[in-house]
Amino acid sequence: MGIRRNTAGLTAAELADLRAAFAAAYGLSDDRGYGYFAGLHGLPLPSYCQHGTLLFLPWHRAYLYFFERALTAALRRARGDTTSSVTLPWWDWTSAAAHTEGLPAGYLPTAAGGPNPLAAGPVTLGAADLDLVRTRLPGAITDGPSPVTIRDPDVPDQLPRPATVNRALQASTFAGFSQLLEGIHNGVHGWVGGAMSAVPIAAYDPVFWAHHSMIDRLWYLWQLSPRGKNPPDALLDRALAPWPVTVRQILDTSTLGYDYAAQVIG
Amino acid sequence: MVTATAARSGDTEQTLVLDLPFPGEAGQPAPFTRADVVIIGVDHSETSFEVRLFLNNPAATADTPRTADGGYAGRFTVFGHGGCYGDNGHCDVPEPSTDPTDLRPEHPLTPLDTYVTVTDALQRTLAQDGALQTVTLVPVSITPRRTDRKPAPELLHFTDISLQIYLTPTDGDITA
Repeated sequence: MGIRRNTAGLTAAELADLRAAFAAAYGLSDDRGYGYFAGLHGLPLPSYCQHGTLLFLPWHRAYLYFFERALTAALRRARGDTTSSVTLPWWDWTSAAAHTEGLPAGYLPTAAGGPNPLAAGPVTLGAADLDLVRTRLPGAITDGPSPVTIRDPDVPDQLPRPATVNRALQASTFAGFSQLLEGIHNGVHGWVGGAMSAVPIAAYDPVFWAHHSMIDRLWYLWQLSPRGKNPPDALLDRALAPWPVTVRQILDTSTLGYDYAAQVIG
Repeated sequence: MVTATAARSGDTEQTLVLDLPFPGEAGQPAPFTRADVVIIGVDHSETSFEVRLFLNNPAATADTPRTADGGYAGRFTVFGHGGCYGDNGHCDVPEPSTDPTDLRPEHPLTPLDTYVTVTDALQRTLAQDGALQTVTLVPVSITPRRTDRKPAPELLHFTDISLQIYLTPTDGDITA
């Protein structure tokens, strides 16, 4: 079973594996690669992501599950082994470190100026979509024929505070929890700025996955709490397109082969 | 409930002010332990934006500090789709289907509903002013580039807004 960890607690080897996995996925232009998965959130059409509905949490859980599996497959292929694996770490934007430093250190450009696949992602869109993105969302992606994502983060203290998250974790209904958590989630997208601030291209930024791992972890924690409840019955057998799974099938993370580390290490 | 068409501009054309009735008889506010401002039918098809809510402060603007003194009650953020990327009509949201055999999912741009819990802010307002008179909505764009962010009334489209109060174990407001 894969254990998702706090970005702040990744070992050097775990961080190197994660970077290698992203780099390997960037190198695949078919439906195993990064562009395919990032595109499912918005551009190129069709867009599948769920926002403002009670499928927000289930859909993004499925999204992370399939992307995490693709990352490991890409890493194994790149290395020519069958044992390497990675999980999607979570970015705890409520932590004291985040409120001091902002984005997780592992996702920043390296001090030495060398490449860091987690600092920006390639935006592999066609020319027409790139033109529209550059016109409507200036500052989201770089210029040139091979654009990558840009960030423009706010000051660290403007990230959500633990009390805000705790307020959501006290929700007594799935709808209440989902709406509160989605609102917090929206604010973090805006905090990061750049590509992350817009639905069509947000998932091209590698920090998208650490942000959503945090969201999924908070849902997991709420599920484990005495207040945790399933989504409404009417939703349980809804498909989470394009994934061949239903809401019911993704409720228990243990059946999906991953868990969240209980403590921050390091 | 107040429809969006009842909104008027605040001190500037960049904000919306609505008279929001408080539930209960005049002079006898209904008791409550939680209060939500509920906003129905919010458009999320364009640039991302946030909306700051101020109670009994029709002069509030994007420069008004988010503090209790100014009547600040909380905010909600809309994660926007940044415009339409399909062919003509792709982003037109159809009317909800009444056909029981229609298994298609909702259009992704179906307007959303949201709420801001304003319990503490409303209690302060009632204690200070005796009554709730207005809620001011201050929309501010969340563009990719931070320096481009500005008051953005053109992004806020909704159907109606209401104040809903409850007698339940109260939760703290989120005013960060």
